[in-house]
Amino acid sequence: MLARRTALGCALALSALVFGPLPAFSQNFTKQVHIIVPYAPGGTSDIIARIIGPKLSEAIGQPVIVENKPSSSGNVGADFVAKAAPDGHTLLITDAGTLATQPNLVKKLSFDVQKDLVPVTLVMFSPYLFAVHPSVPVATLQELIAYDKANPGKLNVGTSGVGSIQHLTAIVIAKKYGLKWGIVPYRGGAAAVRAVVSNESNVIFNGALATQPFVVQGQLKGIAVSGDARLPATPNLPTFKELGMPIVETGSWQGFLTSKGTPPAMTARLNTELRKILAMPDIEKKMAELGGYVKTSTPDEFAGWLTKAIGDWGDVVKVENISLD
Amino acid sequence: MDLIANLFANLATGFSVALTPANIGFCFMGALIGTLVGVLPGIAPITTIAILLPFTFTLPPSSSLIMLAGIFYGAQYGGSTTAILVNVPGESSSIVTCLDGHQMAKKGRAGPALAIAAIASFVAGTIATIVIATASAPMTWLALKFNAAEYFSLMVLGLTGSVVLAHGAPEKAVAMVLVGLLLGLVGIDVNSGSPRMTMDLMDLGDGIGFVPIAIGMFGIAELAVTLGKPQDRSLLAVKLRDLWPSWAEIRQCIPAMLRGTTLGSVLGVLPGGGAALSSFAAYALEKKMSKNPERFGRGAIEGVAAPEAANNAGAQTSFIPLLTLGIPGNAIMALMVGAMMIQGIQPGPQVMINQPDLFWGVITSMWLGNAMLVVLNLPLIGVWVALLRVPFRLLFPAIVLFCCIGTYTANNTVFDIWVMLVFSGLGVFFYKVGAEPAPFVLGFVLGPLMEENFRRAMYISRGSSMTFVERPISAFLLLLTVALFVVLVLPAIRAKREEVF
Amino acid sequence: MTLRINTPDLAFAVFLIALGALALALASPLAVGTAAAMGPGYVPRGLAILIMVYGAVLGVRALFSGRTAMPAIEWRPLLLIFGAVALFALLLPFAGLALTSFALVICAGFAAYDVRFRENAIAAVILAAFAVVLFVMALGLPIQVWPW
Repeated sequence: MLARRTALGCALALSALVFGPLPAFSQNFTKQVHIIVPYAPGGTSDIIARIIGPKLSEAIGQPVIVENKPSSSGNVGADFVAKAAPDGHTLLITDAGTLATQPNLVKKLSFDVQKDLVPVTLVMFSPYLFAVHPSVPVATLQELIAYDKANPGKLNVGTSGVGSIQHLTAIVIAKKYGLKWGIVPYRGGAAAVRAVVSNESNVIFNGALATQPFVVQGQLKGIAVSGDARLPATPNLPTFKELGMPIVETGSWQGFLTSKGTPPAMTARLNTELRKILAMPDIEKKMAELGGYVKTSTPDEFAGWLTKAIGDWGDVVKVENISLD
Repeated sequence: MDLIANLFANLATGFSVALTPANIGFCFMGALIGTLVGVLPGIAPITTIAILLPFTFTLPPSSSLIMLAGIFYGAQYGGSTTAILVNVPGESSSIVTCLDGHQMAKKGRAGPALAIAAIASFVAGTIATIVIATASAPMTWLALKFNAAEYFSLMVLGLTGSVVLAHGAPEKAVAMVLVGLLLGLVGIDVNSGSPRMTMDLMDLGDGIGFVPIAIGMFGIAELAVTLGKPQDRSLLAVKLRDLWPSWAEIRQCIPAMLRGTTLGSVLGVLPGGGAALSSFAAYALEKKMSKNPERFGRGAIEGVAAPEAANNAGAQTSFIPLLTLGIPGNAIMALMVGAMMIQGIQPGPQVMINQPDLFWGVITSMWLGNAMLVVLNLPLIGVWVALLRVPFRLLFPAIVLFCCIGTYTANNTVFDIWVMLVFSGLGVFFYKVGAEPAPFVLGFVLGPLMEENFRRAMYISRGSSMTFVERPISAFLLLLTVALFVVLVLPAIRAKREEVF
Repeated sequence: MTLRINTPDLAFAVFLIALGALALALASPLAVGTAAAMGPGYVPRGLAILIMVYGAVLGVRALFSGRTAMPAIEWRPLLLIFGAVALFALLLPFAGLALTSFALVICAGFAAYDVRFRENAIAAVILAAFAVVLFVMALGLPIQVWPW
């Protein structure tokens, strides 16, 4: 591993010395490619980048470097890519938080997700598992609604942060059923799971696979799953669609984007290579183990997806009058 | 009896996994890489683990976890080396090691300081491994009992004890804790999502980085001050025979190690930030237990042994919530969860039942890794100490360079280097006015946790502050705080008064 | 009565008051809330005021607690080391790690009173090469090596 890195590095240094800066051809990769992860190492986006990185490097014949630029809910890293050279050599991998909720919540954002970033492809989608602590005496959505009516203020939803999809989901569902539950933000999804397993908060909406084991082992009690298909590991849990719940399609998703002004031919090449990689059986398997399924798209489909997501969550934010600055 | 027989059977299973030549190799590689990375200031073990993650996909699950765990505790130990030798801490626990470890180095006793750090880590690691093997269940219960109210009370207790950290004027230490608390609040507020005191700088969204503060205030500031008086450094050139602590010193450290291990084991298991407290608490406890506390901060060997033991024990027991509940206690554990999931393992209680070889293999490899760290590091002590004989005019530019690169790579941004520069300046100022940075750092680390948990507890109890005394563990911690205040802080203030007036 | 000023203590007190004032100003747009339902501004504002009051008390005490001068500052090592750090921050994004490391070592080297020109230059080359090999090649950290 280290030897290979060294070899790569040497080869790179050598080629840089011999050839110097090369003119950029529209769809060839002329130098190392950076994948910017706007979060600290260890999150889903980071792990996806590190799984895909080596495969992408093989495909394009250039080193691929994964670089974490955390801070400000992903906005620092996204801003960096937005302002990078428009040659398709700087990619952003991030999630619904940066792409769909932050633009609605932060007015002073220094970049525009739709104008300053070019969508390449969606990568993955994972539905949410809706679960409660086992001490809450309910097993179904109806019972939960009744319990909340009888015991107002006893339920608290642990979320991964103010303005996160989890937070907004909890608001929308509370509104639809007249629930009085509290919403308690934590530093990220893992901290929220910790809190709900230890009964500090007692309701959670969180990425299915990260939450499933707790449900299977009885540390949490499942109520439903988002999306329109039941999950293999929890076949007895109904879907949001079956229950007629709002925002059926809530969940977390990741996508690749690049800098504004990147030639369409370059974006197309990136899209082709990434989709080829994401279709590999071992990659699909790893994505499933991370808690979701591979969901790719053309750049245009991804752009449409972004417009819809930003619009939908924007409506929620506007109606609820949530603002972060 | 059954329990003990079971334990031996389990440990035997574990050793049969950990002691295969391949796994010994991976354990050694992890510990070695971890040590080397840990020595570099600011290069966090998490960065290394993330970089090596794709490589581990090709390994069997037990090997990959054994290696990643090796990096983790190797880095814990490597960080102490840098703290002792050149006063550059890379994380909060190393700051405590700086206090007396670097003072020992300045007196020509870097060798014994490094050796006692290694010995204390090993003793703590051995005990903590036994704790994990035997007491996971009660420890898990304790971890689950800690909710927002308990965390808040724990932080209050920690801060009250922090005044003991200073060896100078306590009133300045209090001021430094307050300043630390304040600066810890910079960044996006978890409870409301609003950015606070960030001056509209996006780079401050996640708060002021810990690495630039620690490296600036301790490492760079110390260099800038001591370079003005080069004669200080003559003592650094030591004779090789002074590499080991005397038996008397080791004996003196044994109770300190045991107390440190106990504190570290308990605090390490709390997933919401108890670990940050452990080495500070161990140091403060030793200072108060000591017959001559005035030696602390001037090169007391127990002042190195206790926090090192606490830190290492905590690093081990922080695996308990991960292994028994599947809950990651810190960012590194979260990355380990990622590594396990990619291997197709769902961390949680069923791991112990379904994959006992994996579970016990990882646990026994922790002990093995600690043994390797000793084997690896005791011979290295000579090398590190020899490094100090490089003329200082050549050594310090290297330190400045590594500090800058380390600070940059923590978040891959030069913004953090500017932050480091600001805190270097503040560090020099604090040095000149006689205010110590250690209480500042404790305030900085605990402040946001304290506020966050206070507000969360109040929200969950719907505004009733009774929650802090109604919950038994929280009430107990608050009672302990009052006792600590009466026993420790009041006499300190009174003694100081008599000196002043 | 002549004032017996403890200058270091007074300087620390002034720092506390200034920091408190700055924090108070920065926290002023934040909602305060009540003790039971704190807003984001509650704790910052409370701490800022506490620090200012504390600073004022220390400051008054410093005026009468015995004449103590501020310890002298050695400007050469201070400015050159800080300069070297600043240089690193300014150069790294453009010049890459190799040249930046070289420049930092040269600049920092002059902070020592016993600096030797040739030795310093050699050290700079060796350390720059070492940094590139260690951090970029061995550890694979994402840092640009050359300006191009």
